[in-house]
Amino acid sequence: MNKEAAYWIALAHLPRWGHLKINNLIIQFYHEYKLTPENFFQLSENDWKNQYRLEYNEVEDLKKAKSELANNAFLAESLYNEGYELIPITSPEYSKNLKENLKTAHAPALLYVKGNKQIMYEKSVAIVGSRNASDKSLQFTDNIAKLVSKEYKVVVSGFAKGVDKQALDSAIKYKGQSIIVLPQGIMTFGSGFKTYYKQIVDGDVLVLSTFFPKAPWKAELAMARNPIIYGLADEIYVAESSDKGGTWSGVVDGLRKSRKIYVRKPEASENTANNLLIQKGAIAVDFNGIPVQGYKPIETQKTILVANEPKINYDNKIFGLLKTGEYTVKDILKKLQLDWSEKKLRDFLKKQKEVEMINKKSLRFTIKNQVVKQNLLFD
Amino acid sequence: MTKQEAEAILQKTFKLSHFYDEQWLTIEKILKGERVLLIEKTGFGKSLCFQFPAILHKGTTVIFSPLIALMRDQVKKLNSLSISAKCVNSEQAPEENSQIINDAKAGKIKILYIAPERQENSEWIEATRQMNLSMVVVDEAHCISVWGHDFRPAFRRIINLVNLLPKGLPVLATTATATKKVEADIAQQMGGNLSIIRGNLMRDNFKIFVIKVSSEDEKLIWLGKNLEKLPGSGVLYTGTRVDTEIYSKWFEHLKIPSIGYNAGLDPESRIAIENGLMNNQWKCVISTNALGMGIDKPDIRFIIHTQIPQSPIHYYQEIGRAGRDGQPSYIILFYNPEDRRLPEAFIEGGRPAIAKYEKVINAIKNEMLGEKDLMRRTNLKQNQLRVIKADLIEQKIIREVTFGRSKKIEYITKAPQLNTKAFEELRASKTNDLEKMIEYVETTQSRMKYLCDYLGDTASGSFNNCDNTGLKKITVAVTTEWTQKLQDFREDYFPVLEVETKGTNLVNGVTASYYGVSNVGAALHRSKYENGGDFPDLLLKLTLKAYRKKFGQEKFDLILYVPPTKSGELVKNFAMKVSQVLKFPISHNLTKQRVTNEQKVFENSYLKSDNVKDAFIYKVPVEIQGKSILLIDDIFDSSATVKEIGRYLTNLGALKIAPLAIARTVGGDLV
Repeated sequence: MNKEAAYWIALAHLPRWGHLKINNLIIQFYHEYKLTPENFFQLSENDWKNQYRLEYNEVEDLKKAKSELANNAFLAESLYNEGYELIPITSPEYSKNLKENLKTAHAPALLYVKGNKQIMYEKSVAIVGSRNASDKSLQFTDNIAKLVSKEYKVVVSGFAKGVDKQALDSAIKYKGQSIIVLPQGIMTFGSGFKTYYKQIVDGDVLVLSTFFPKAPWKAELAMARNPIIYGLADEIYVAESSDKGGTWSGVVDGLRKSRKIYVRKPEASENTANNLLIQKGAIAVDFNGIPVQGYKPIETQKTILVANEPKINYDNKIFGLLKTGEYTVKDILKKLQLDWSEKKLRDFLKKQKEVEMINKKSLRFTIKNQVVKQNLLFD
Repeated sequence: MTKQEAEAILQKTFKLSHFYDEQWLTIEKILKGERVLLIEKTGFGKSLCFQFPAILHKGTTVIFSPLIALMRDQVKKLNSLSISAKCVNSEQAPEENSQIINDAKAGKIKILYIAPERQENSEWIEATRQMNLSMVVVDEAHCISVWGHDFRPAFRRIINLVNLLPKGLPVLATTATATKKVEADIAQQMGGNLSIIRGNLMRDNFKIFVIKVSSEDEKLIWLGKNLEKLPGSGVLYTGTRVDTEIYSKWFEHLKIPSIGYNAGLDPESRIAIENGLMNNQWKCVISTNALGMGIDKPDIRFIIHTQIPQSPIHYYQEIGRAGRDGQPSYIILFYNPEDRRLPEAFIEGGRPAIAKYEKVINAIKNEMLGEKDLMRRTNLKQNQLRVIKADLIEQKIIREVTFGRSKKIEYITKAPQLNTKAFEELRASKTNDLEKMIEYVETTQSRMKYLCDYLGDTASGSFNNCDNTGLKKITVAVTTEWTQKLQDFREDYFPVLEVETKGTNLVNGVTASYYGVSNVGAALHRSKYENGGDFPDLLLKLTLKAYRKKFGQEKFDLILYVPPTKSGELVKNFAMKVSQVLKFPISHNLTKQRVTNEQKVFENSYLKSDNVKDAFIYKVPVEIQGKSILLIDDIFDSSATVKEIGRYLTNLGALKIAPLAIARTVGGDLV
């Protein structure tokens, strides 16, 4: 138990301060003046103003934070009681990778973790990618997770749908170790702790969050979480990225910070932004994560795409079937003997304007006007 | 603030003229934002040491107290002084607690009493994020220490909290009973950095006696003869729940107004008894040590123990409530050398076998479980499981976490091995304490001095207030008249079988005796387990007498009996005899439709209920419709079987089902 937890919670979540300002303050009192957070909060307002050159607003923020220390103590007690640990940036337990990769400007002042902390100090590999990744990308993810686990390295992932989840599940499947970096406060991850109970008990999973412990999932938090994933890892593999969204901005940010980032070499037919990332300086790798020497991304993707896939045929077949009634994904695959995964078909159907989704006990699909017709019949 | 200024406020707000030196010493430190451990005897005025600073502070003072009765009492007093005080506890409606917590958030409450267990409540934790906290008080701080007499696991969290609180926030821990060892333990756990203020523990208004006896009968007879000669009203502590019942029935038989109290009573009954005690409604309240030690009654004139407590510290704590008004009060302890068996059993049985610990650890390693499921998986009694749970939490092997409203137990990643040495140390320490208690009984020196020395009080003075130092020793004279009275009582006292539940037509029944307390148990055992043939007529006679006492001339439409687990006709034959005498028809149509295990195999009520669930069937259901039924069994163990049959027969249309058994087991919760 860190007896100064209440102070660290206060510092880490100073409203609108940002990592840089918070870290600079910590560097000042902790390294320059050799004060503990407790000592620092005992200082007078004048000391804050004069010695630390803090503005009026900043002093006000600190005063407010100070008045909430007792409240933080209650929160910290319940965190510790539930088995969470708090690791401040000054602690020797704080991830060295995170500090080195994110530096003063981006390293969070406080980590909330549960599970086997030791995992944080092992060699680690982040596997990232979009929520709606293709089968190819998921297979790539699975394969990288397998190789990583074989080498006793740790898989770092972000617990989003698609690639993140695949990375975690594969690491577990191959008896490897994983860090889950949460896009939310650690106290809101109840069901996850149930799901991964055994892995956590066995010391194979560490759950980590940098946000206020009770903060619910938010898109902003998911975005803010990405640099933490990259920061924790020694190596970064990208299975699939579109040209916007979390993966994209995370990788671009990582490249800006001069990280070495490996991107799956896309097949010519793919409509992903993997090539764009490779153009921006990421390293193309094959299915086994080995860099592809001399790979030059081609920009003629779209023409190839049209020539390649007899997509229209499928459309016709599927639409033809859907016109005759309501079907589940399973029904459709069986009836048309399609060689698609359920997920692929489901995603495909969801994207089609003409297709209506019907939320019955098992999700069903049909053609939109079909439904309209039926309604008319009942009139 | 000077003492004079403070006393001006004291007079205005609390209507008191001045502080004692040690009170002011404490308050000064609190006002400076320091941490204090205050050890003072009951009646000293410890509460004022936090109540006074609390009214000066801007925000709310939170007092963690394990004693609900005490909380209620103090809140009442503070409110009568127009100080906004409230308490949050499990005996109030959730809505009421929510309202109080909201008021505290809104800054409307100066002094908030709260049970340590509340720290597990998410609504409360949520509220603490917004409350303006001025001070934290840990009442009965000895509960922090396993070396004390009343270790409570819920206090562990309070200690963690205290360690996390920011510097400058005053913390006061108070207790009336702490040996030097406990004192050091509390100070260390609270993270050092605190002043210890210790007052003297001498109570010179006590008149202290030890009465040596050689049987339970002698205790009953002496009390029967002398209880009413003692001044005022008081408390009689027994060792077990069953004893509270037996003693109160004995006094009832003798027409001495008294009432039994134990932890198994519902809150309303407990509050009613506490209030009755305050108003001297009875000569005495007969209680296990569950009776709220915090009851603030100044004129308890006597405290009698029929059973030696586990240690002198337990004893000092329990007698501490007598004579807070400073008037003479009688402190009497009965001692029969055999009595040491009960505390010994507590010390031995308090620690479950290592194999049971392993069972729990293995179950938890595989699965996150709630207490109920864990009991099912391990077939452990609830109180045993709780001991194991507390120990494993203490050793950082498991922890209890909250998921919404439910609590689950989880294994801690990289947990250490079970350390059995810690148990042995604790057991050795407790055995030593018990020896010290017996030494108290045997000592020829001043008893008060013995207790003070034990507690580490170094104050000197005269201690001439016991039967070793001037008071006349008490001995028990057994006369034939009183032996007869006791005999009459025994043949006229039949334990009630409490089985009434919502949703069934069960009514409370009766049994001839407690199994193991009288010769009834021995007779049953011979027939049941030693091939002694049918239950003897003595049992029939007693059971019928019990029936008459409880049900008078009431008629039942039908007699049924609980079908046996193993083959055997003992209960059937017995029920037929009852049927012949009472002239109620008997039916043999209640049978089992599946094999069950003997209930005694199962250690907890969940497994007992599971064992008999849907196990019974009645061959001709229409026979039950609209009937009143007398349900006969030999030994009533848990109520699970009777309740299951009651539920089933109610569904078939029975109007009333009353159990009648030869004996009931004493097991279950002792205190």
